[in-house]
Amino acid sequence: MIKIVIDNKPVEAQQGETILKAAQQAGIPIPHLCYHPAFPPEGSCRICLVEIERLPKLELACSTVVREGMKISTQTPRVREARRGVLEFLLADHPLDCPICDKAGECDLQDYYQEYGAFKSAFKEAKERREKKIKIGNNLILDRERCVLCTRCVRFLTETTKTQELGVFRRGIRSEISTYDAEFVNNNYSGNLVDLCPVGAITDAQFRFKTRTWFLAPVESICPLCSQGCNIYVDYHPGFPRVPGTAKIYRIRPRLNPDVNDHWICDYGRGGYLLLLNDRWDKLVWRKGDRETVVSWEKALQILAEKIRTFHLKKDTSKIALVLSSWLTNEELFLIKKIFKDDLRLERMFFADPRPGTGDGFLLQAERAPNARGAKEIGFALNPVRLEDLSQNTNLLIVFSPFLAELYSPTALKAVFETIGTKVLVTPRANGLDSLVDFVLPASGMPEKSGSLTNKNGKIQPFSAVCPSCGDSRPEWSILVDLARELKMNDDYYRSLTEPGAILKGLAKEIAFFRKEPLWIS
Amino acid sequence: MSGVEDKVLTQNFGLENLYKVDVYLQQGGYQALKKALKEMTPGQVMEEVKKAGLRGRGGAGFPAGMKWSFVPHKVDQPKLLCVNADEGEPGTFKDRYILSHNPHLLIEGIVIAAFAVGIHTAYIYIRGEYEAVAQRLEAAIAEAYQKSFLGKNILERGFELDLFVHRGAGAYICGEETALLESLEGKRGHPRLKPPFPASVGLFQCPTVINNVETLANVPFIIGKGARWFLDHGLPRDGGTRIFGVSGPVVRPGIYELPVGTSLREIIFSHAGGLKPGKKLKAVIPGGMSAPILRADEIDIKMDCESLAAAGSMLGSAAIIVIDEETPILDVLLKVAKFYSHESCGQCTPCRIGTSWIYKIIKRLMAGDGERGDVDELVRLASNIKGKTLCPMGDAAAMPVISLTQKFRTELESSLKNQ
Amino acid sequence: MSPDISAGLNKKIAELAARYPKKEAALLPVLHLVQRERGLITAEEEKLVAGLLGLKPIRVREVVTFYTMFYQLPMGKYHIQVCTNLTCTLMGGEKLIDYLQKKLGTKIGATTADRRFTLSEVECLGACEQAPCMMVNFDYYGNLDKEKIDAILKDLD
Repeated sequence: MIKIVIDNKPVEAQQGETILKAAQQAGIPIPHLCYHPAFPPEGSCRICLVEIERLPKLELACSTVVREGMKISTQTPRVREARRGVLEFLLADHPLDCPICDKAGECDLQDYYQEYGAFKSAFKEAKERREKKIKIGNNLILDRERCVLCTRCVRFLTETTKTQELGVFRRGIRSEISTYDAEFVNNNYSGNLVDLCPVGAITDAQFRFKTRTWFLAPVESICPLCSQGCNIYVDYHPGFPRVPGTAKIYRIRPRLNPDVNDHWICDYGRGGYLLLLNDRWDKLVWRKGDRETVVSWEKALQILAEKIRTFHLKKDTSKIALVLSSWLTNEELFLIKKIFKDDLRLERMFFADPRPGTGDGFLLQAERAPNARGAKEIGFALNPVRLEDLSQNTNLLIVFSPFLAELYSPTALKAVFETIGTKVLVTPRANGLDSLVDFVLPASGMPEKSGSLTNKNGKIQPFSAVCPSCGDSRPEWSILVDLARELKMNDDYYRSLTEPGAILKGLAKEIAFFRKEPLWIS
Repeated sequence: MSGVEDKVLTQNFGLENLYKVDVYLQQGGYQALKKALKEMTPGQVMEEVKKAGLRGRGGAGFPAGMKWSFVPHKVDQPKLLCVNADEGEPGTFKDRYILSHNPHLLIEGIVIAAFAVGIHTAYIYIRGEYEAVAQRLEAAIAEAYQKSFLGKNILERGFELDLFVHRGAGAYICGEETALLESLEGKRGHPRLKPPFPASVGLFQCPTVINNVETLANVPFIIGKGARWFLDHGLPRDGGTRIFGVSGPVVRPGIYELPVGTSLREIIFSHAGGLKPGKKLKAVIPGGMSAPILRADEIDIKMDCESLAAAGSMLGSAAIIVIDEETPILDVLLKVAKFYSHESCGQCTPCRIGTSWIYKIIKRLMAGDGERGDVDELVRLASNIKGKTLCPMGDAAAMPVISLTQKFRTELESSLKNQ
Repeated sequence: MSPDISAGLNKKIAELAARYPKKEAALLPVLHLVQRERGLITAEEEKLVAGLLGLKPIRVREVVTFYTMFYQLPMGKYHIQVCTNLTCTLMGGEKLIDYLQKKLGTKIGATTADRRFTLSEVECLGACEQAPCMMVNFDYYGNLDKEKIDAILKDLD
């Protein structure tokens, strides 16, 4: 560690670190456009210039390495003047698009302009006109008037994805970002370009013109679409109070985690997350023959508990089968283990998970479920469900998975279900199976609940609910806690499980693997 | 004063076929190389060049021997030499003369330099427009290989050097040393951040020396006749001669090889014959377009790096552009602004946008639409470019604008609509 | 246009590439050669050169569009490039541009209808002692006036 001074404040920096990094660690922000922590310094935007004692010229914070005793000033009039100068140049060559630009509200150029003196433009000449709506990818639009030529996009595609779809053509004021004719950006990480772009030059075609960023509240979460467990922000619009139906998840963005996904997420997850609340089943339904009765949670769980108790008392729990999923959280799988495996001594527990896909060699894993590792560590064998397993003398089937319909045809499922006495579906999506079962207990979708997931490398990651559970639905952990109480199991214990954090604590007490750093985020 | 004996580099330029190796040898060519390889160590060669005070003749004026010494001694990677024959600075044409009249002088200088630093591969980056010159150079190189002045086991001393010609393709910025490296690597001519400096991380990430043509052409003389001799031809800290290029409305435009420190007035009025009949001197750009301008009353100045720097200008490429009274300064400003905005590589914000903004203002002034404050605005914009860019081209673009507006403000403001 | 380049050119390209530790460094010299044979660099030439040097075509186009001496559009048989930088302007270069535009019946940046001449402005050619100058293809001409220009154009076949 070496000692430097930034703005008269003593700072400890690492050997070989740049001024910008050291300053950021010390909580001193330095404006930057071309710099991005994922790439080596570029030094072309020139907005990060700082003053270093005894050096005649202003120097770049993004690329100058700290030295013992260095005294750096980031807010002198000279530095502010230099930053204003760079901004003035950029704005002279930038369209006045803020009112129609998606980036407004999260735009570096806007923010720095506010900070460095919202000045009146001195530019009296004709502004450069460039193309504004260029398709560069399936979901990407390039606006060359807004581009500040930071080249983050080009560098990302050269250094990270190594697919090189973008380049810089021509030179000087005519420089432009471009694809090679119609060879568009076509890789599983194209969405990161929108996040990378410091201004609104590269925008998401689906997000375009849909909302304003200041209506969105980001929630920290984990992408559940595969076992990598990429960290994300979910941008949720809580809705306009007087306009029903306007609450919505608009997009997800990567959340930095050097141990899991660095600065990136893949397009599969980015797009897939937005579909998680499609086709939601949110009614609690009890089907008796042809009649459907709406019933309360209390009643439904009473009935279910009664059925379970009957088999348990007759020591006939082999007639009960469970179909689980690796999309269940650690907390939910732990409760299932405690209730069904430990207490009820159930043995017939199977898994219905999405079919594996193809990994892409970077973040996207072949395993399209977020918590298989968690299930394994909690003690499940993860046997994939086969229809013949279910038709074996089953009187009560509880399905905690929305994926059965993906694995087997409705006809095949119907045939098997008809041999089963009572069928209960606990799921956020019915996928057509509602007509085949006796109970549909609506569970929350992933964005509607909290909990923790264990990624393929054993990292336990908490995630928060983004939006309230819709309709009658409740998180599976909450359903299970109430079921346990209904079954009159250790009431003191289950009554204390009022939120997932408490369940995770209990899990950590019982299984050493989960005894890791404190994880819960409020 | 100056006479035939002052000519060092150009002493034989009048000779027909000097570019042929046999003629060059007849004039005593490659003797210095023989001396270096047979009688000296690389360290001694480098010391001699350092002592001679040989400054770079491309524009920056950096001491060549010192530059060579920045290359680390023991490295795993091969060391490389790049010869900067891009000659893009407007007003400059001296290297063209060396390359076409006496390419073997350059080759000899290259081999000696390579020997001093421990380099075994060298590239001459020559501007794309110099096609005929490049062909002559390639022919000379082939001759040198034949005579064992290049290739394996040069002069049977076990020293090995390969030399290649690499053509540029029309970009002034590729005269900047790191942009030259990028271009040599097959890329756009985007200058690199320094540090690291080319002496540690250069061409293909290897330690690299980059020297101008004229700089290297002096090396055989320094080795052949000694550092003392070289210094005697110039100034105590800035030895040798410079090939001054004089252009503009003078009687005898052309190259004039004279001792470092010769007076500018002498060069223009004695050697180049003064202004053409009927023309009066208005201003002089002393060192290529990037050098701040001097008024007619400022030409009693010694043409060496330190004197010109002290006067707020620079020796640069020693390209003297003479401007007469009939030329409006606004016209000069227009050419300056147009050039830098055309040649900006576009990488960094101040140069990419600033040079274009300045050009637009000046075009407006040319069209008669200048307003009060426009001249101040030019200075302000140029000051926002100067010292803030990734490479020295920003300064090169800014300094002429600043000096032209400083020294000819009255004339420029008279072209505005409402002063 | 044949999709392949001549065997001679192929050989020359391989020789050039061998001069560098990475063959992609030969890009500029190779583009010069290819342009000499094909007249211009279109997507076809870009892909060809990219393949030979182990590059993606986009990297080739980045270079083609950066440097002024590579042409993406067909040029006339003679590319007349008149310098309009400082010294040549001081010595009357702009008047020569006007003269050439009138004489050839074309404008700066355009090609004559018979495709014989393309007229361009260029920056400093490095021959300022002979200002005003122009370059016709790769040949330098200096100390120009209207008569000299007439003579030069007459001599071109």
